[in-house]
Amino acid sequence: MAALQMSREWIGIQQFPPATQSKLLEILDKFKQEDVSSLTVLVMGKGGVGKSSTVNSVIGERAAAVSTFQSEGLRPTLVSRSRSGFTLNVIDTPGLIEGGYVNDQAVNLIKGFLLNKTIDVLLYVDRLDVYRVDDLDRQVVTAITDAFGKEIWKKSALVLSHAQFSPPDGLNYDLFVSRRSDALLKLIRAAAQVKKQDMQGSLFPVIRVENSGRCNKNESDEKILPDGTSWIPNLFKTITEISFNGSESIHVDKKLVEGPNPNERGKRLIPLIFAFQYLLLMKPLVRLIKSDVSRESKPAWEIRDSGSASRRA
Amino acid sequence: MEEKKLRDDRISDAEDEVFVEAIDEDLTSEELKDSMVSRESHGEANGQDITEGEAAPGFVTSKMKNGDEGEAGTENVSEPATHSFSENGKKQLVAEVIEETRNGGGIEDENVDVSAGMETEQEAGNREGADKNCFDDESGKQRNGEKSTSEENGETKGHISREHETVRNSNGGLGVEHTSQPSKESEKQQGSRVNISPEIEETPRLERKPEVASSVSPTQSTSNTAASPPARPAGLGRDAPLLESTPRVPHQPRVNGNVSQNQSQQAEDPTTAETDEHDETREKLQLIRVKFLRLSHRLGQTPHNVVVAQVLYRLGLAEQLRGRSGSRVGAFSFDRASSMAEQLEAAGQDPLDFSCTIMVLGKSGVGKSATINSIFDEAKICTDAFQMGTKRVQDVEGFVQGIKVRVIDTPGLLPSWSDQHKNEKILKSVRSFIKKSPPDIVLYLDRLDMQSRDSGDMPLLRTITDVFGPSIWFNAIVGLTHAASAPPDGPNGTASSYDMFVTQRSHVIQQAIRQAAGDMRLMNPVSLVENHSACRTNRAGQRVLPNGQVWKPHLLLLSFASKILAEANALLKLQDNNTPGKPFAARSKAPPLPLLLSSFLQSRPQAKLPEEQYGDEEDEDDLDESSDSDEESEYDQLPPFKRLTKDEMARLSKSQKKQYLDEMEYREKLFMKRQIKEERKRRKMLKKFAAEIKEFANEPRENVEEERSEPASVPVPMPDLSLPASFDSDNPTHRYRSLDSSNQWLVRPVLETQGWDHDVGYEGVNAERLFVFKEKIPISFSGQVTKDKKDANVQLEMASSVKHGEGRSTSLGFEMQNAGKELAYTVRSDMRFNNFRKHKAAAGLSVTLLGDSVSAGVKVEEKLIANKRFRMVMCGGAMTSRGDVAYGGSLEAQLRDKDYPLGRSLSTLGLSVMDWHGDLAIGGNIQSQVPIGRSSNLIARANLNNRGAGQVSIRVNSSEQLQLAMVALVPLFKKLLSYYSPQQMEY
Repeated sequence: MAALQMSREWIGIQQFPPATQSKLLEILDKFKQEDVSSLTVLVMGKGGVGKSSTVNSVIGERAAAVSTFQSEGLRPTLVSRSRSGFTLNVIDTPGLIEGGYVNDQAVNLIKGFLLNKTIDVLLYVDRLDVYRVDDLDRQVVTAITDAFGKEIWKKSALVLSHAQFSPPDGLNYDLFVSRRSDALLKLIRAAAQVKKQDMQGSLFPVIRVENSGRCNKNESDEKILPDGTSWIPNLFKTITEISFNGSESIHVDKKLVEGPNPNERGKRLIPLIFAFQYLLLMKPLVRLIKSDVSRESKPAWEIRDSGSASRRA
Repeated sequence: MEEKKLRDDRISDAEDEVFVEAIDEDLTSEELKDSMVSRESHGEANGQDITEGEAAPGFVTSKMKNGDEGEAGTENVSEPATHSFSENGKKQLVAEVIEETRNGGGIEDENVDVSAGMETEQEAGNREGADKNCFDDESGKQRNGEKSTSEENGETKGHISREHETVRNSNGGLGVEHTSQPSKESEKQQGSRVNISPEIEETPRLERKPEVASSVSPTQSTSNTAASPPARPAGLGRDAPLLESTPRVPHQPRVNGNVSQNQSQQAEDPTTAETDEHDETREKLQLIRVKFLRLSHRLGQTPHNVVVAQVLYRLGLAEQLRGRSGSRVGAFSFDRASSMAEQLEAAGQDPLDFSCTIMVLGKSGVGKSATINSIFDEAKICTDAFQMGTKRVQDVEGFVQGIKVRVIDTPGLLPSWSDQHKNEKILKSVRSFIKKSPPDIVLYLDRLDMQSRDSGDMPLLRTITDVFGPSIWFNAIVGLTHAASAPPDGPNGTASSYDMFVTQRSHVIQQAIRQAAGDMRLMNPVSLVENHSACRTNRAGQRVLPNGQVWKPHLLLLSFASKILAEANALLKLQDNNTPGKPFAARSKAPPLPLLLSSFLQSRPQAKLPEEQYGDEEDEDDLDESSDSDEESEYDQLPPFKRLTKDEMARLSKSQKKQYLDEMEYREKLFMKRQIKEERKRRKMLKKFAAEIKEFANEPRENVEEERSEPASVPVPMPDLSLPASFDSDNPTHRYRSLDSSNQWLVRPVLETQGWDHDVGYEGVNAERLFVFKEKIPISFSGQVTKDKKDANVQLEMASSVKHGEGRSTSLGFEMQNAGKELAYTVRSDMRFNNFRKHKAAAGLSVTLLGDSVSAGVKVEEKLIANKRFRMVMCGGAMTSRGDVAYGGSLEAQLRDKDYPLGRSLSTLGLSVMDWHGDLAIGGNIQSQVPIGRSSNLIARANLNNRGAGQVSIRVNSSEQLQLAMVALVPLFKKLLSYYSPQQMEY
């Protein structure tokens, strides 16, 4: 199955406007130069923020099922497309929130699905046109951190969907975007327990995305954001940058999926504890008991009794 | 004949109307059928009556006419039936609102009665009340009519003359004329009766006018009570109108004419009375209609707007139901109303007496404050895209098109489960804020462009429901903000239509609300909202949505419509529990007064000091003592007696045996008496002793205490509980063993014996303790906590009593227990006077806090001890809450055996009366226990209440096992016989 998917040709790329296509091919060439044959992108986020739509936009075809009102079920889906020897794997995941909680089952399913795969890039998707950051967002970010370790945030980008929108109250678009991304980044930093200077060092990339068919287009028919940038090549560029940013890709192995083996924990301390017990607890105790036995004075009748008993025996 | 045709038409007209009404009210087909059936049966019944009437002597009218009249009679009867049906239809609406689903309304009277017999008293009372609710006086009277006619057919003339008199009385002297009216006239009346509109009514009725006028007056009182708020529905008990209207039944020698006339009159009187009364109501309703039209006019909506049309339709419907006036009235008044509204608006003077309070609820960041700003078209509240704009509940008042609108802005709620306690805090502050001035409408906001799937809003909605109660959703409008946003792409990549998107999204939210409120019938209207400054506007500067809708007037119109309908409902009292302007906030049910009262009326024993614990009957001892003194020695004086063994017994002859047993019984009795005596003496000694000890200083008492504590220090196993017999092979008594320790707290498990086999029957824990405060005041405490699969119950009781002065004592009690979902707290105090030997009086006060309603009660109790054998306890009390009063009283008399503690015969008579909402409930109870023979008892018990439900039981118990077993054989034999008998029949 996976092999089948692997072999599928990336036809969707031809559906992009020529300008985009040429930019994408450039990026692919870069991968070839670096001798990287495949790239795995994991897309995560709350339900209904546009993860699947983003995947579809990236691939250029309707690879992941999108439904406005229903969630797609709990299983993640792998979409992989190859183009002249380079394979792009995009893993679409279900929304992590159900009924006000993070759905642990969904998280476990995603982990199991990713077993023995390497995540090169994580795209954390949220909407741009939501004003507040609430506890649910924090829970989702924490769940991701718990699942893949905080290292994953070094290989990730924040994707803001529904980017084509005009901010309320006459706010400036750029200002709105920066404030919104700041709010989310603050959350990610807090949840990922990343120190601030670390984050400053490697600037956390923010990508804006507009998946709607109503997205504005420029003269060369590329989908553009309100500030005029064509976002699909931009997205690929950022993904490439992340994959080459020097941090290790996250390899999902058994350990990561099942968590640390509790039997291994503190194994080295066992001899130490043993020695401590022997030297500091057992020895004094034995000494104490012995001295107590020697100090004991038996009543006369007991001595006589025991004496007679021994005599009889 | 022409006349008749006309009449038929009218009747069918009226019937049609009735059916239209009924259908409008969404009556289920079953109910329809029910009522149809009952109608038919009424018709049949009457037909029979008439044939009887034909046979009766003194029947004058010709055969032709007679047939005619027979038909008239049937129609006639069927007519009231439909009327009552429409009544039912209307009340059904009420019942629906109260969520008391009952099939068939009150038509099946017997049904209710039977079930009442099976239900508990309280339930039955409630049902009964509702039942009466369903019966307007009209249908009740209709039944009376039937009854009386059948009576008349069967009864002698002596009865008639009496009725004649009463008729004259009630009719103010005109009754004679009336009764002597020829039947032809009565026919005309029938024709006229159906019509309610005054124009038609007048002409045929002219001849009868005086009579009608006079006959209205006695009815008016009843019909008024009928029309008065259903808060006092039980005032029209089935019994009360029966008494009232029977005298009004005029009797005529011409029985046939009488039948129809009676009923025509009965059916007619209330309507005439009500039309008078409803003129006023209709006028008010008209005003409401005008008001609403003015509102919609100001919002720029024509009467052809869907919402406006619907509200007008509903108002008309309500009016029809109320006044049973024809549909033409509705159309007529609509024209008038709209012209009036236009005039008023054009003049622009008469200020509109209308204000609406809207409370806005919703998730954080959906645009609650922004919506409020949009409603008033100015930045009343500052909003911030990234921060909680509103931190506390606040009021915003303003005018929209000259209409006063008050909006309550609330802080945003959070969707995650972990945040629900924060939400709860917010909502509680909202609740306390709206306590003073509850909102008319709740606007629940959410974003249109957010796909809240995976039941993401459920925690939030549930919290709202928990805090405010599900009734908050009854008057809620769903607002979808960001309504100008484009719909997302459909599954095939093409853009889906806007309307489709809106429909789907609102469906999702409505469904979620239904789920959260637990009421699947909810259908909250949806309004779209767009606050964005870049929103498209029309020429008037109003924001227009992508579907061309101007949202603000629509939203306001929806809110106003809800308010208007609530007003109309309040006026018509269709929804009695929906108090006007206060649709949900702090609405609580009236406390179950009869229940509280009856528990209050129970006399409870006073808390006693430990040393007095056993001396309960000291007062009675006083009575007994003098008489017993000589008997005491009697036992000692008896010659020695040797018990016989079984063998010896067997050798005795019958008479000897009897003598022996009599002798033994006598001796046993004396012996027991002596024992009781001694016990009393001992107690008295103890008391004296204790009193003496108290007089001493502390030292000796310490000793006493030490002594006392020593023997009890070892925990002793309690005796095993006796478990009910079961088929379980396992004997689980070991589970319930406990130790009785010296601890002053007495803690025991509460056992549920009716549980499943193999089930641990522990339901809860019971703890008791008696404190002594200052060595004089005993305080008893007992608490019980039980929990089963569904709910937990807490019951806590504290009581204390103080004796002051001679024979006077005051007791004070505090009680806390679950009543439904709420806790009821009761404080009661009692004062007892034991001044006289033969009677004792007590008076008490109690205050109960249930939910947020306080009820207070007073009672007086009198205990009369006539002699050693007979005693009587009477008590009466009243309980009031929120202007509701329930009165109750009880009487209990007891006749004991001659030698009380020993003899087994005991008779008690109990009577209880409860009056609530004018609904009188009387119950009687007799129990008698008579010993028959040496070892058998006969216990007879009977109870009866004023609804005719009762129970009679006779029980015989015997301590001789053989007899018992024989009795058990009786049903067996009977069964066997029943098997055999059919076969014998065949041969």
